[in-house]
Amino acid sequence: MKPSSVLIGIETEYGLLVEGRGPQDQIQDSADFVRSYPGYCFIGWDYRFESPRADLRGFKLDHLAQDPIDAQFDRPGAPVQTSAEIRSDRVLSNGARFYNDHGHPEYATPECHSLAQLVALDHVGETVLRETAAAFGRPTKVYKNNTDFHGASYGCHESYLAPRELGFDRLFPAILPMLICRQILTGAGKVGSESGGWVDFQISQRADFFAEPANAETLYRRPIFNTRDEAHADPNRFIRLHVISGDANMNPWSTWLKVGLVRLAVALAAVGESPIWRVARPVETFRRISRDRERAYTIDLEGGSHSNAYLVLESYLAAAEKVLDLDQEDQHLIQVSRELLTQLEQRLPGPERKIDWVAKQQLIESALDGEDWRSGYAQSLDLAYCDLDQEAGLFPALEESGAVDPFPFESPRAEGRARARAVAVSRFGAELHTVSWGSLVFAGADLALPPDLPDDPDLINLVTKEEFIQRLISLGAQNRV
Amino acid sequence: MVQFDRQTRPGEPEPERKLGDEGGPNKPDLKKPGAPNELLKRLKKVDPDQVKKYRQRSGQ
Repeated sequence: MKPSSVLIGIETEYGLLVEGRGPQDQIQDSADFVRSYPGYCFIGWDYRFESPRADLRGFKLDHLAQDPIDAQFDRPGAPVQTSAEIRSDRVLSNGARFYNDHGHPEYATPECHSLAQLVALDHVGETVLRETAAAFGRPTKVYKNNTDFHGASYGCHESYLAPRELGFDRLFPAILPMLICRQILTGAGKVGSESGGWVDFQISQRADFFAEPANAETLYRRPIFNTRDEAHADPNRFIRLHVISGDANMNPWSTWLKVGLVRLAVALAAVGESPIWRVARPVETFRRISRDRERAYTIDLEGGSHSNAYLVLESYLAAAEKVLDLDQEDQHLIQVSRELLTQLEQRLPGPERKIDWVAKQQLIESALDGEDWRSGYAQSLDLAYCDLDQEAGLFPALEESGAVDPFPFESPRAEGRARARAVAVSRFGAELHTVSWGSLVFAGADLALPPDLPDDPDLINLVTKEEFIQRLISLGAQNRV
Repeated sequence: MVQFDRQTRPGEPEPERKLGDEGGPNKPDLKKPGAPNELLKRLKKVDPDQVKKYRQRSGQ
């Protein structure tokens, strides 16, 4: 199996700080912010196929848990708006979705097969946020991170389209060890702690927020392995593995590693060749690795034995080399991962050039120069690292100074189903009624687009809506009308 | 601005260990001549109290 056959995507909820405003204003501010996007976009998201309460284990939750603190931010008597008004969905001309998700502007990349493309499309999202901030007209900070350091977290989620026959029972044990261990290569780093005892610095922004190994929640009592069953495709054929335990990364190499490693694990699960690691106490282990300054990254296994994250990750890399049909990008991913693991374990220079947490830790440590990590200044530096403002952000300064490795960005492009969406909104937007990940609705046509719709670069050259619809049907789209 | 304290109070500190004393990659020396000027400039501009102003709703 080729890992690149797994369709992938990233959705990032950004932190939003509007001068003089607070969390009680945040839902309205985020909606207004999204509506300020100055580029071309289509308005008319199709919500028919959303099912956030469906669980991979075969049941549906009555409701999703809410963080009780957030309820205190709600203003009694605030004007009632529809869910669509609050979300303010925009579909961008590259096929991405941009909307307000629980008070956070969220950019969801178009789905694609290439890791380098995904990183490029995620990078476009940063530009979208910067352009929107510039057009918003109010002094605003946008952060690509996952915490406010006061106990509120927001996500950077990944999607991996997998065969339905894998099911929870095969996916969970195959993916969980990877989700716990990959943080040492992909964590964004965080000053302090929002659960348990204080720690000056830890690897993961999200580790403090996990309560269970697996469940369908995302806002409260979050799991390491999210069981939301919302395929955005034919649910009889596909599962969309919805990963919520990763960090939002500033360094594009970290993003590349974050998705590439899980994609290898998904491909191994699909061919039934996953390394077998039965991690004892997964939540505690995730947290312990995040806080391990010794870099031992020990993992206790069921039955009393133990291992470590280096060995677990290497087992996935070795299995992938042995049984998967790897392309050049996969081979490069494996090579880079091994180099970084060696450098981390042997404390050699190098990881700071590709791994966010290492760069952030070194930078803050230097800037503090002996000052107390608890002073608040260290967390302000942490925030500044993730500041998207290219004139103020610390990560952009590291890039400028050559302290991190430049990522070989490709020109971003939509492909397959995403290209059909991009062409629909940018060329036929005036005639389009609604759009979602897997649907396009025109007058007289309700098209279901399969996720494996063949890529057709000629779509942009079609002149009429009728030709466009006909071409999509010939490619495999189904007209439900 | 309404503020609610949702953070778990800092509990007992974990065993103190000065960051960086485990060896490993050298931290950037921001004092040495030739340290990246832009980086220094930006570090000086960081508002030490920025994190106190930063409160968010929980997202997903």
